[in-house]
Amino acid sequence: MVSAKVTIKNASGLHLRPTGMLCNEAIKYQSSIKFVFQGNTTNAKSVLSVLGACIKCGDQVEFFCEGPDEQQALDAMISLVESGLGE
Amino acid sequence: MYKGTSASAGIGIGTAVIVEEAELVIKRETVADAAAEVERFKGALDQTMKDTEALAADLATRVGEKEAEILQGHLMLLMDPMLTGEIENTISGEGICSEYAIEQVCSMYASVFAAMEDELMQQRATDMNDIKTRMQQVLMGVKSVDIASLPAGSILVAKDLTPSMTAGINPANVAGIVTELGGKTSHSAILARALEIPAVVAVNDFLNQVKNGDQVVLDGAEGVVYVNPDAAVAADYAAKREKFLNEKKELEQYIGKPTITKDGVTVELVANIGKPEDVEKVLQYDGEGVGLFRTEFLFMDRNAMPTEDEQYEAYKTVAEALKGKPVIIRTLDIGGDKEIPYMGLQKDENPFLGYRAIRFCLDRKDDVYRPQLRALLRASAYGNIKIMIPLVTCIDEYREAKALIEEIKAELDEKGIAYNKDIQVGIMVETAAASLIADIFAKEADFFSIGTNDLTQYTMSVDRGNDKISYLYSTFNPAVLRSIKRIIACGREEGIMVGMCGEAASDPMMIPLLLAFGLNEFSMSASAILYSRKLITNYSVEELQAVADKAMSFATTKEVENYMREFVAALK
Repeated sequence: MVSAKVTIKNASGLHLRPTGMLCNEAIKYQSSIKFVFQGNTTNAKSVLSVLGACIKCGDQVEFFCEGPDEQQALDAMISLVESGLGE
Repeated sequence: MYKGTSASAGIGIGTAVIVEEAELVIKRETVADAAAEVERFKGALDQTMKDTEALAADLATRVGEKEAEILQGHLMLLMDPMLTGEIENTISGEGICSEYAIEQVCSMYASVFAAMEDELMQQRATDMNDIKTRMQQVLMGVKSVDIASLPAGSILVAKDLTPSMTAGINPANVAGIVTELGGKTSHSAILARALEIPAVVAVNDFLNQVKNGDQVVLDGAEGVVYVNPDAAVAADYAAKREKFLNEKKELEQYIGKPTITKDGVTVELVANIGKPEDVEKVLQYDGEGVGLFRTEFLFMDRNAMPTEDEQYEAYKTVAEALKGKPVIIRTLDIGGDKEIPYMGLQKDENPFLGYRAIRFCLDRKDDVYRPQLRALLRASAYGNIKIMIPLVTCIDEYREAKALIEEIKAELDEKGIAYNKDIQVGIMVETAAASLIADIFAKEADFFSIGTNDLTQYTMSVDRGNDKISYLYSTFNPAVLRSIKRIIACGREEGIMVGMCGEAASDPMMIPLLLAFGLNEFSMSASAILYSRKLITNYSVEELQAVADKAMSFATTKEVENYMREFVAALK
C-alpha cells in the first residue's frame, strides 16, 4: 500500500464536477483508491462517497492506494488534485 | 387570475396539458432468484444510462452544452459503483425486488444530500430522486411523459419539471409553461428563456385549478396566468401576443441598419460582455462592437492565476469574432470583495474604497498586470482591441499604466512579436475624482467610458445594495447628471471618443439626455441593442437640446425622473 497527502485547491471544494473528474480517473485503476479526511475513509471511485465527504477548499486529505498498479494510481490522483481537477 | 413568478417573457395561449409522472407504487416484493434479479437491475441501469446519454446529447445540440450539464451529472451518479453496488447488495442480501431496493438506497442518499448545509449539495437530492424514478420507470415499463410528441399549442402545466422532462421541450409544440414550484433560476426557467418560450413559475396550488384541455393564457413578463378566461380577457391577450411578436419582428428590422439620428448624428451601439461565449449574442443582435469586456471571469473560480497564453487566447477569440469592430477590454477589476484565494487579497474594511482594480494591478505588476497587458497587446494583432483602465482617480495611475504598456511594446518589438502599435488606451470614468479632472485626463487618455453604476455610487456615497438608502441611488440625480454632462463635454473638447458602459446607457429615459450631451458610444447588454437603435434613430439631437436643458434645470431627482418619464411617454 502506498499513500500521500494533498490539499484541495478548488474554490467551492469537491462539488459534482471536480468529483466526477476524480472518480472517472480513479476507476481506470485496478487498485483500491481511498482517501482519509478527519478520520473518515472515502472511496475515491464513488461520486457519492466523495460528495458525502464534504471536502472544502484548503482541506488536506491523504490518499491510500493498494493493488497491482498502486503507485501509478497514487501519482495520478495527486497530480489530478494538484492540477485543480479541471477548474 | 393566478399570480406566479415571471420566468420567461412572452404571451402564451393554448391548451393545458398536465404533465404528471405516473405515481409509481413501489412494494416490497421478495424474489426467489436474487441473482436473476440483480441481472434485471443491471439491464434497467444500462437502459437508463443509454436514455440519459441520448437526452443529454439532444439537449446539447438543440440548446447548449451548459443546459446538458445537469444530465451529465445524472450519468455520473448512475455510474457510481457505490450506488449500484449498494442496490445490488440490497437485492441479494434481502432477496427483494429491484424497484424496492432502488427506492431504499436512492431515498437514503437523497435525504443525506437534502440535509447538507451546502446549497450545491442539496441540489443533488433532486438529481437522486430524478434518477431513482427513471430507473423504476424502466423496470416497471412505465413510459415517462413524452413532451416531444405533444400537439402544437400545448401549455405545459406541472408541479415542477424535472431535467429529464425539460429535455424534450420544443418551441414548435410548447406555447407556454406553468409550474407550481421553481424560481427564476431553476432549470426549467433557464431552459424556457433559452428557447424563448413564455413561462410562469411558482404559481401556488395551480394543479388544483386546472385540468387537461382547459384554455390557458399566460403572460411570462408579468407572471400571471388565466384558466378558461372570458372572451374579453382572451381577446386582450391575443392582441398583446400579436403586439409582442410584432415588436420582436419590428426590432429585427433594425438588424444591419446604421445607428444614426434623424439629424444625421451617428453613434456607436456596442455590447457589454463577460465571457468570450457572449460574443454570439452580440452578433445575433447586431452589436457594432464590444464596449466593455470584463476580464474578471478569467480569474474567478480557479486555483491559480491564468497564464499569459490563456488570457491571450481568450482576448484573441473575441477580437477575431468581431472582425475589426472595436473591442474595449477592461483590465482586471477586483478587490477585497471577491474571493480569489490564490491572489492573496486581504478582506478590506471598505472594499470599494480599498485596494482594488488599477491600485492593486500597479502594485502587482510582475505577476498580475504585466502578463495581462502583454496578452492584450499580443491579441491586438488580431482585431481592433482597445485597453481600458478601471477605477483611475489621478493622472499618475494612467501614466504609470501607459509607461508599462510602452515597456512591453518595446519588449515585443525586440522579439519581433506582432501587435497593434496604435492600440488605444483609455480610462473608465467612474470615480468622482476622475470626473472632476476629466479635462486633464482628456488630454492624455485615448478615450473615456463612463461607468454609471460606480459613478453613481461614488458620487452619491451610497451603497445601492443597502435597502435603507438605495433610494439615493439614481443616475437621474442632478449631481450625477452634471458629472456625466461634464465628462462628455471634456472628452469632446479634446476630440476623444466618450462612451458609457453602465446600465444607464440603455435606459430609454436616459438615452435622450445622453444624445443631447454628445455621447459617442452606448454600451449595453446585447439584448437591449435593437430597441435602443430604434429609439436613437427616431430622435434628433438638435431637438433634444431643449429637453436636456429643461431636465438639467430641476433641483431634485424626482423632478428629473418625472419630466423624463412624461417626455418618453408622450412620444409613444
